[in-house]
Amino acid sequence: MEIAEFSQITPENFVEIGYTSLKEVVDLNLSRAMAVPGLDGGDFADELELDPTIGNSFLKPITLLNPGEEVPVFGVDASNIDLGETKEGFLCAIRGSIVWRENKAYQYVRHGPFIFHITEANKNFLYNALRQRCFDVNEGVGAPILERIPEHIRNILERWLQKQLSESRRESLLLWDGSLTTRTVNNPISILSSLLKRARDARNVILALSKKTSISAFGRRMDSLLDSGNAPCLLDIDDVVRVQYGKYLRFFGKIYAVKLSPGTLSFRLDIDRQVSQAAGVQAVENLLCSDLIVDSYPETLRLAHILSRFSANEVLAMQRYVSENYDLKIIRRPNVRQILFGPYGGIASRRI
Amino acid sequence: MHIYKLDGNTMDIVSCPPQGVQKGDYIIVRDNAVNRSLIVQVTNIGYANIPGVLEDILRDSSTKNIDGRNLDFLGVKAFVDVIKDAKVFRCKIRKAIVNGRIDHDISWTPSRSTSQLINLTDREFLELIGLHGENAITLGTTKGGAEIAVNLTAIDGKLNIITGKKGTGKSHLSKLLLLSLIEKGGICVVFDVNGEYVNLGYGADYKKAASHEKIIVLSPGKRFKVTLEYMGLGVFLRIMSSVLDLPDNSAWEIRRIWSSLSQRSTLTLKNLRKAIESVLNNYVRDALIRRYDSLVSTGLLTDNPQEASTLEDLIFGLNSGGALIVNLRGLPSRFCHIVVEFMLSKLCNLLDRWVLRALFLFAEEAHLYLRKTYWEDIVTRMRHLGVFSTFITNQPDSISDSIYRQADNVFLFNFTNENDLAAVSKATMVDVETINVIARELPPHYCLALGRVTNDFPIIIEVKPLNVKTMGETRLFFTNAYEQKI
Repeated sequence: MEIAEFSQITPENFVEIGYTSLKEVVDLNLSRAMAVPGLDGGDFADELELDPTIGNSFLKPITLLNPGEEVPVFGVDASNIDLGETKEGFLCAIRGSIVWRENKAYQYVRHGPFIFHITEANKNFLYNALRQRCFDVNEGVGAPILERIPEHIRNILERWLQKQLSESRRESLLLWDGSLTTRTVNNPISILSSLLKRARDARNVILALSKKTSISAFGRRMDSLLDSGNAPCLLDIDDVVRVQYGKYLRFFGKIYAVKLSPGTLSFRLDIDRQVSQAAGVQAVENLLCSDLIVDSYPETLRLAHILSRFSANEVLAMQRYVSENYDLKIIRRPNVRQILFGPYGGIASRRI
Repeated sequence: MHIYKLDGNTMDIVSCPPQGVQKGDYIIVRDNAVNRSLIVQVTNIGYANIPGVLEDILRDSSTKNIDGRNLDFLGVKAFVDVIKDAKVFRCKIRKAIVNGRIDHDISWTPSRSTSQLINLTDREFLELIGLHGENAITLGTTKGGAEIAVNLTAIDGKLNIITGKKGTGKSHLSKLLLLSLIEKGGICVVFDVNGEYVNLGYGADYKKAASHEKIIVLSPGKRFKVTLEYMGLGVFLRIMSSVLDLPDNSAWEIRRIWSSLSQRSTLTLKNLRKAIESVLNNYVRDALIRRYDSLVSTGLLTDNPQEASTLEDLIFGLNSGGALIVNLRGLPSRFCHIVVEFMLSKLCNLLDRWVLRALFLFAEEAHLYLRKTYWEDIVTRMRHLGVFSTFITNQPDSISDSIYRQADNVFLFNFTNENDLAAVSKATMVDVETINVIARELPPHYCLALGRVTNDFPIIIEVKPLNVKTMGETRLFFTNAYEQKI
């Protein structure tokens, strides 16, 4: 895999639609978007946080003993950040990265940043246009509430990058940041499902690692579910989680707790449900010998995360870019909590 | 550029995108609301402390060894680079402009939000402070290439100090000042400890320069001798007591002998020796003989009127400007002291009698041939007589604080040694930070000029080259044989 190969895949839709949102502040009404009021596309919701209680304390960890086979490993991550408010709405930026390790060398391609001006008037257009153009879906859906649009756009970029990988790679390990879970309601076509299928068709295995889960058992957090002495190991908690959340969520992956190296940290790991457990375990064993594992976390994903994240400098730079190129003025609205409560207002969520 | 902080007379200015401002440059901070401006000088430059810079650097270092490509479609990186490179200029407020005129009142505060900040070009700045005058001498150029010509009145009647470490161009500037003063008709005297000035009358091509006739080199004890009578009792006694440490009793005795010989018009070296030998008191006699022999051994004194010179005659030949170079090279320390004592005493005498209107004295490494206290005397007393001194030294602590404090102009060349910088900064007319930062970074032949010469605005000057044989170069072992001979 050469960098040039990934560099050819330019997310033109993000560039073009972002540009349009910045250029045409008011006139982006919904003529092009087929909005269905009240419907929220579940494919691009932010990572779902589960909090099931694991009652079975006799679950036995699967110790990863077999030496794996070295395979190419790809990690994908994306991030979003608010740049500030305008008279009409607010500005946000997204960026995504693909990092891979092949022949013991890391490489990366970083896409973005892409800047969007999100307003009540254009949010449906933005959301649907990106969704339709990136994933060839026809139906329009109602956009999420304004404040959550950035993370949904970020998820669209992340899914798009995942799609590129699923289609272009063969016999590789694809590491995603997050889970393989979607909501069951209002989710007519699952883009996630088709991504998994494409990956399977190309004999790739998708491993989704989630940092944010708060799964616990008998008051013990995920971190302490797995004994460091057994590492590297997996703990199959799929049944426990599905019993509790099956009504509301669709699980495309089988859920494990995983500790890839000795230490305190464990993570939730989703492995494509259509992949047999043996193949899944084999994929994790392959990961162990194909990537560096630091603090129980694969280096490719860590690098993808680092490369995607925005720094304060970049935020300043993008604010400058927008004001210089599009004459959009970032305003600072009064902080109501601060006005009312002063120092007792707590940490109010504020836009930058 | 925007004002960031103001603390006392220190102003921090943020520049994003960073402007091509260098240390030593001047910026105008104009507050139109009050129709006033501040003239501030950049003394230090640092990066703006922007939150997240460290994160950026650490992230870059994490991925430095990874082959990768950034598909930055919007070209945001250029903007990030601008922010990362944002600078903070630490400035010192020098003066103000009120109604278009330079003003000393800098007690007011300009508006942070509405003040206009303008980076002055060197030419604009020099025009603003009105450095050029009719009777000006060119010292060199600014870093930006603008010619700096200083008015003679800023040097006439003033005390100048030229200091800096070895090889930075101190003597070069002193020679430039000397030649410029000569050209303008000034009379100068140079105490040349290293024999660097003796060839100033020759061009770099070893041919006679225009100033050749105006440079007179005195070699004390060789071609420059004086009679006892010309030296005079006062000078003789001063040399005896302050240089040769003659006790008071003996001084009284020699005064008596001198007067007696003088009254009989038989004041010669030979007769003086005879008279000393006839002193009854053994101790006094021995003390006088030792000092007499010591003085005579210098060769400065002669009884032969054909051999002897007078300063009056020499200076008469310099009516339209010129320099007496007193070549002290190779002379024993005590002899140097005697010569300098003689010269200063006689020159004061000439000035006192209005034979001379005034003179410019160039004293290189003065601590080698005179006591500190004596120089203080020159600075305080002789200044009123018309001796306008320029001290040149690479040991700033050899000049006492009281002299620094009276200095009208300081030309500061590069110093890297902390102690040297401390010695200069505690006594000069500019703040410590300016000295510590700017003087440390001056390249060779650049100096920071402070004082009247630059209308009290510190200015970095690149001293202009001279087309004369300056000699001050260090003699090398590994060099061209021809040049070595020359």
